[in-house]
Amino acid sequence: MTVTSTAQIAVAGRPVRRRDHFLTWKRFTTPLFVVLVLAVLLLWLSSLQLDSIEKRTLNPGYIVNRIREHLGLTIVASALVAVLAIPAGILVSRTRSRLVRGMVLAIANIGQAAPAVGVIILLAIVWQIGYATALVGLVAYSFLPVLRNTLVGLQQVDVNVRESARGMGMTPSQVLLQVELPLAVPVILAGLRTSLVFCVGVATIATFINAGGLGDMIVNGLKLQRYPVLITGAVLVACIALLIDWVANVAEDFLTPRGI
Amino acid sequence: MAVPVFDFGRLLHFWSKRWPDIVGLVVEHLGVVALSLLIATVIGVGIGMLVWSRPVSRSAVIAAAGVALTIPSLAMLALLIPAFGLGWTPSVIALVMYSMLPIIRNTVVGLREVSPAVMESAKGMGLSPLGVLLRIQLPIAWPIIVTGIRVAAQLTIGIAAIAAYVAGPGLGSYIFQGLSSLGSVNALNFALTGTFGVIALALIVDAVFVTLTRITTARGLRA
Repeated sequence: MTVTSTAQIAVAGRPVRRRDHFLTWKRFTTPLFVVLVLAVLLLWLSSLQLDSIEKRTLNPGYIVNRIREHLGLTIVASALVAVLAIPAGILVSRTRSRLVRGMVLAIANIGQAAPAVGVIILLAIVWQIGYATALVGLVAYSFLPVLRNTLVGLQQVDVNVRESARGMGMTPSQVLLQVELPLAVPVILAGLRTSLVFCVGVATIATFINAGGLGDMIVNGLKLQRYPVLITGAVLVACIALLIDWVANVAEDFLTPRGI
Repeated sequence: MAVPVFDFGRLLHFWSKRWPDIVGLVVEHLGVVALSLLIATVIGVGIGMLVWSRPVSRSAVIAAAGVALTIPSLAMLALLIPAFGLGWTPSVIALVMYSMLPIIRNTVVGLREVSPAVMESAKGMGLSPLGVLLRIQLPIAWPIIVTGIRVAAQLTIGIAAIAAYVAGPGLGSYIFQGLSSLGSVNALNFALTGTFGVIALALIVDAVFVTLTRITTARGLRA
């Protein structure tokens, strides 16, 4: 079980839990941890004497708006990635040419090496600043890992399984839909989960190109030397990332076919 | 705002004018990544050796490292600023924390994968448990551990670009300079140099790691 890439980190090492083990105490450590952290944050903030600048950002209205922007960007981008990258991965896996598949994997690996800030800022320079650019950047950035995992997931299906499905008289599309895709689901979902967590992180950077989100609080807090604002923004982003990862993990367990 | 047109001649001119500056940033970038990886390897392999045979602390440590990896990099850097200020210190600490999961997990996996028969015979030859760990398990697990360090290197090279926002070292500062000079002639050149510099570094470092794995693997284990 050699772990060779970030996408595979999510795949390896996590044993598939069966549904009867669904309600364990381990299942709820993440939400409990997040609630605890938020409670500590709230206690700390209420013990502080906030000045007028801090009051302008540290109020429920402002924070809820930033969270809404952040989640909006993350979820729309992830949905677009799922709709675009999974079919693309299936298409690429259908080609007989090894060269095409190899090239796609190579491009995906190079793309993973690209720094997210660089991609977002380059897009802003050649196009425009704002929400649309951030969205395109997020989609472009998480497209490759999901495509890659779809491809890898389909390729790792045992040749014998595929052969026997053909031998039973299934058409190629039946083999794909009823055999290969269900077997690839865990790997594809792991890719989507990685891309969701990625998106939460990159959406933080979106503040640099005026696309809102909780990154605003971090940057404002830093520029104005208001650490309560900075820390609130950072803690909220971290909690959102942890919760989204947790939700994706639960969804993974639900969506993985029972046989696997 | 006029859309900047890409002009390769101008990019080459930009490079030739700022060559010493660019080389300095590349060296800084490699320096911060190498320092972080060195610290992360010592800590990560150490923790891995402590917990590999204890199921409860093993999963607790891996879960904690997973939490660190999930936190967005800008948030992580922001949280470190009140305590450590700007510059190298928060950058290195953040990069070390992001490297923990791949290194600890691969150390644990590598140490556990050593066949019980091999360990049994080492014990039979009179090696103490620590001797078995250091002289048998660690060399056998080493290729897997290096792979973990390699994954961490890829991660940290990219994340180090964001550290420039908190005045950290490296090529990220060119990316941010591109943003702050938005609309000017050189904005695109700054951002392109920064971004593609980071990609090139990541690819070169990855190739170096392939060689490093081969050289540092015990002779008997080489394929």
